[in-house]
Amino acid sequence: MLFNDYPFLLGFLPAAILLCRLADPYPQLRIWTLVLLSLAFYALGNPPFIVLLVLSILINWLAALAYARTKLPVIITAAIVADLAVLAVFKYTNFLGYNLGLVLGRPLPLLDIALPLGISFFTFHHIMYLVDLRKGKAPVYPLGRYALYIAFFPQALAGPLVRWSQVMEQFGRGIYVPGWQREFCLGISFIAMGLFEKIFLADRLARIIDPIYARALLGPVVNGDAWLALAFSFQILFDFAGYSDIAIGLGLLFGIKLPFNFNAPFRSTSIQDFWQRWHITLMLFLRDYVFNPLANTRILPRRFFPVQYFIAMLLTMALCGLWHGASWTFVLWGTLHGCALVICSLWRRYGPRLPVLLGWALTVAFVLLTAVIFRAGTLDAALHIFQGLAVPPNLEPSRHLVPVFIVPLVAFLLPASQDIIERLTRKPRPWLAALVGIGLLALLIELGERNVNGFAYFYF
Amino acid sequence: MDSPTFTSDPSPGWNRCLAACLGALGIGALLLFAVVIAVDPYDSGRFGLFGIDGVDDRNTQTATVSRARDPQFDSAVIGNSTAQLLNPADLSQATGLRFVQLYLTGGSAREQLAVLDFFLRNHPRVGALVIVADPFWCGHERVAPRPGEFPYWLYGSSSLAYMARLLSWPAIEHVSQRISIGLGWRKRNDPDGFFSYEDIWLPGTFRDTNRPRDPAPAATAAGRDNFPDIALLDDVVKRLPVSVSVVLVVPPTFNTTVAKPGTPAAAERETCNRALQRTVAGRPYSNFINYRIENALTRDLANFADHIHYRPIIASRMVKGIAESIRLGEAAKIDF
Repeated sequence: MLFNDYPFLLGFLPAAILLCRLADPYPQLRIWTLVLLSLAFYALGNPPFIVLLVLSILINWLAALAYARTKLPVIITAAIVADLAVLAVFKYTNFLGYNLGLVLGRPLPLLDIALPLGISFFTFHHIMYLVDLRKGKAPVYPLGRYALYIAFFPQALAGPLVRWSQVMEQFGRGIYVPGWQREFCLGISFIAMGLFEKIFLADRLARIIDPIYARALLGPVVNGDAWLALAFSFQILFDFAGYSDIAIGLGLLFGIKLPFNFNAPFRSTSIQDFWQRWHITLMLFLRDYVFNPLANTRILPRRFFPVQYFIAMLLTMALCGLWHGASWTFVLWGTLHGCALVICSLWRRYGPRLPVLLGWALTVAFVLLTAVIFRAGTLDAALHIFQGLAVPPNLEPSRHLVPVFIVPLVAFLLPASQDIIERLTRKPRPWLAALVGIGLLALLIELGERNVNGFAYFYF
Repeated sequence: MDSPTFTSDPSPGWNRCLAACLGALGIGALLLFAVVIAVDPYDSGRFGLFGIDGVDDRNTQTATVSRARDPQFDSAVIGNSTAQLLNPADLSQATGLRFVQLYLTGGSAREQLAVLDFFLRNHPRVGALVIVADPFWCGHERVAPRPGEFPYWLYGSSSLAYMARLLSWPAIEHVSQRISIGLGWRKRNDPDGFFSYEDIWLPGTFRDTNRPRDPAPAATAAGRDNFPDIALLDDVVKRLPVSVSVVLVVPPTFNTTVAKPGTPAAAERETCNRALQRTVAGRPYSNFINYRIENALTRDLANFADHIHYRPIIASRMVKGIAESIRLGEAAKIDF
């Protein structure tokens, strides 16, 4: 079930709000109502894998319980290894098989493995909790609360990645407490903003860009259209930022405040700045659970700490790439960003200070160009796009190209959606709320054409 | 989360905001829906209250529903653009029946069957049906519906599926067209649906495009005689009263795309022709006519706009053959 489709918006969501309203006066029912709704949401979109999600919750929760009683770290290690193994089986088996085939000189058969939606996200949630449990930072929670942390439907499929400490205490609180009307107004605003980003910005760009990348798989794109392919970064920004805003808005309708995931990344003036503004919750996860352990564990002698630090940076970003998809193009994309982060760190320490505008231009150019590798699917297709950049862009005015000019302007000039919403909701303005209602109606009408596109991050 | 966005504020103004937002959404949706329902944007005969006749719509996928339910006609030509030049007025004059043209631009056999079903549901008494079966019909596997491309919901029998599609920009645009027709500001499409492509593809020109899309040969010998769309048509024809004439027509194509006798392509074509022929065999006032042959007419470039779209000189011969078939059935003499 997609957040941007009628069955969810006009069926599941109103029903879920109604059920939670009925359960709200009974504190003992609140968490389990949301758990059951979340499992129903997952089962409706992903029927066979609901068993995987439920088993994953039960096994990790039992591991946490066993660790709390025995204090044996091996239990946590085993649970994390098992989580990563399940992720590897579903996501990387064919990638490993393909590369093993290349090494052995004979292709291995590819397996028909479907990727369970959200598996990366719920695996990371388990890891965050279990690592913190072993460090003594996290307590053991009852099954219902833990299940809701993993399966809470607004963020279960594609984030935002939430720390247990950010939400566990919010679960089970009453939704309809004084001030709930503002939370609902905010929630609706975030949902409207997210739908707008997805439908009017990301999907409009996708209609222009997707055929170009399809052509790049067959050969060079030589008619000047390759320049349009650079707009993919804006498409993925508004696709995922749109999803994240809808998730945050939905969270608010159920009394849960989820963290922000984007902060106007195309206003970054360095690549470090960019990664503090793009998919923020993933980068915080990678920083705390991959980079910090790699950088701070004593592997090399102390005097080589900078070397280990930068290797950890490179490795973290390469893993970030691999997380996005089982393909060497993703690894290359991640590694290039790792290199850029290393160069940026060294430059900040030893190089002259760059003018802000130059830093911004370099950052944007780097992000747009590397995104071609991310999107192209194969290195050859990416090269076909890059070759096409040798031909000047076709700048003949055409109505269908309007999104290619408008969407980047929105990305460059407007603040993050949470800042826009914060400014608009500082005080109650009923006329503005009515406009949001009419805007939502326009979005629902747009969805009535049924040209519904899935969210890109569902596949990561 | 510690963010100024999420600060709590129990002021009663937010109550009014929530009411304004949900009110605008709910009341706006209800009002819009009520207008769309009352206008019947596609003139599909469902719920319309204002009695506006016809549509002003060049998209045959949506415009055909209005013609297909028009009670002033009792007979129909069904096909895609390879049927477009068969003038229903000429057929009506030649047969005494009242023909409507229900072609769908680029329509597949599945889509044409949906139109046929809608026409039959809306006409308790049918005079004749002319089905122009281009190569789409000879597929050994059904073409899967193309999501979002053909509005099956518009031709289906479910009012719920229909209503679920009414809150959309195209429906709202059609509402404005229909209101304009009702107010006399716009002219409706010709009721019989005839629209000559000669206005676009001018006489005397030939475009080297639109080669017939003959389907891939059957993967197995057992599948060679399997034509799922023809089988569905066969079921429909068998359920029709015997008084209904059914003429199945294979449209002509430019001679270079006619399979040479003795080739596997010709054998494939012949198998499909036999399946079409069986559908009307023995049925009174019904016939199967294969116009996809090589002769002086199909060899002349001037008689075609491209490989599959013929000119009026051929269309008038076809109309004569169809009218003759409706009069005499399989005994008709086809002059082509």
